[in-house]
Amino acid sequence: MSSTWLAEAFAVFGKDWRSEMRARHSVATLVLFALTTLIIASLALGPIGASPGERSEVVAALLWILLLFAAAAGLPRAFVHEEESRTAAALRLAARPSAVFAGKLLWVASLLAALEAIATPLAVALFDLEVASPLGLLAALAGGGLGLAAATTVLAAIVAQGRGATTLFAALAFPLLVPLAVLAVAATRSALLGGEAGPVLLQLLLYDGSIVVAGFLLFPVIWNP
Amino acid sequence: MRATSLSFSGVSRRFGRVAVLRGAAGEVAAGGLLAVRGPNGSGKSTLLRCLAGLLAIERGEIRAREEGRELATADRRRRIGFLAPDLALYEELSVAENVELFARLRGVAPEPGLAIARRFALPAGRPWGALSSGMRQRLRWAWALLHAPRLLLLDEPFQNLDAEGEATARALLDEHLASGGLAVAASPVSLPLPRITGELDLAR
Repeated sequence: MSSTWLAEAFAVFGKDWRSEMRARHSVATLVLFALTTLIIASLALGPIGASPGERSEVVAALLWILLLFAAAAGLPRAFVHEEESRTAAALRLAARPSAVFAGKLLWVASLLAALEAIATPLAVALFDLEVASPLGLLAALAGGGLGLAAATTVLAAIVAQGRGATTLFAALAFPLLVPLAVLAVAATRSALLGGEAGPVLLQLLLYDGSIVVAGFLLFPVIWNP
Repeated sequence: MRATSLSFSGVSRRFGRVAVLRGAAGEVAAGGLLAVRGPNGSGKSTLLRCLAGLLAIERGEIRAREEGRELATADRRRRIGFLAPDLALYEELSVAENVELFARLRGVAPEPGLAIARRFALPAGRPWGALSSGMRQRLRWAWALLHAPRLLLLDEPFQNLDAEGEATARALLDEHLASGGLAVAASPVSLPLPRITGELDLAR
């Protein structure tokens, strides 16, 4: 057996993208959800006549609510689909658990990044915003997206093993994702309005590091019998 | 214990309150085949999943040696060849793509797996989702033998295969055993299998 860990992880990642592109289990739902939410919110807030600052506050929260709900709705499939379609056994027998986790994490992170790439410019355009710090916004989206991907991947692996997956996901997600959402919203607001974002981004980075390390430590226990 | 061997004793497993396996024991060495029999619900599939490392055992011991080296559960899981009726591959990927994916995961060349798929006359470009149940069973054989395992665990090895498919599967099993591999094969009926060196009846 001479496969490298990286080759295994990228094989899992590539497989998920290839399957997704052919079956469109998640992408279509997520994009539709993002577009609908943003358009409805912009139409509802338009007549109120909110100031640019108020609109930035709303968009910072709205964007992360949208990403959190999209993650909760579409991303548990990362593992639930493997169990439901009975492919999990083949994957368990062929790949190292840590490589499976890395591959799935990459897949979820890339899907979230794609969603952010669609939703963020659309939100900026629909709400007629000026971004004070585009680099800060990129950092907030990257930091929040990685944390959300790592937390969702761990949660998806846990719920895929048991019955009542959706309820369990909601119960476990709340304490894990609320701190992330608070940090991500603060970092996004600072980027949009031009405030000091350094400390928040640092906290976001620490959250990401902790959850990724915890994921790699926990996953073999969750994944294997 | 020989260079390549598998032995287990006292293997027990329950699901909730239902004891499915109670103290199953057996052994098989290189070149041999252990035939596991028993009616539906007697625990044949559960035993094979335990031997593969896909299910944890509650009591007992499983020892697998390959080339003289004792395999830990994680090693055993990755090194065995496993075939079972409920094992599925990726429905959006074709026969060839599934073989290539698992070859990459296992760090082996895809060609031996593709060659087995050709022996079974599988259409390389057809997705798993569009294969008949017999064709899926043929691809399970190619998947199980892809990495040239020494330990082969077969649950209902000829299920859904037509005469031609079964003949190819039997030839592959014979080649595996002749080359020093070992196998455990489970079936509810007594299968005329080559090189049976031990039997385990779970109905008793």
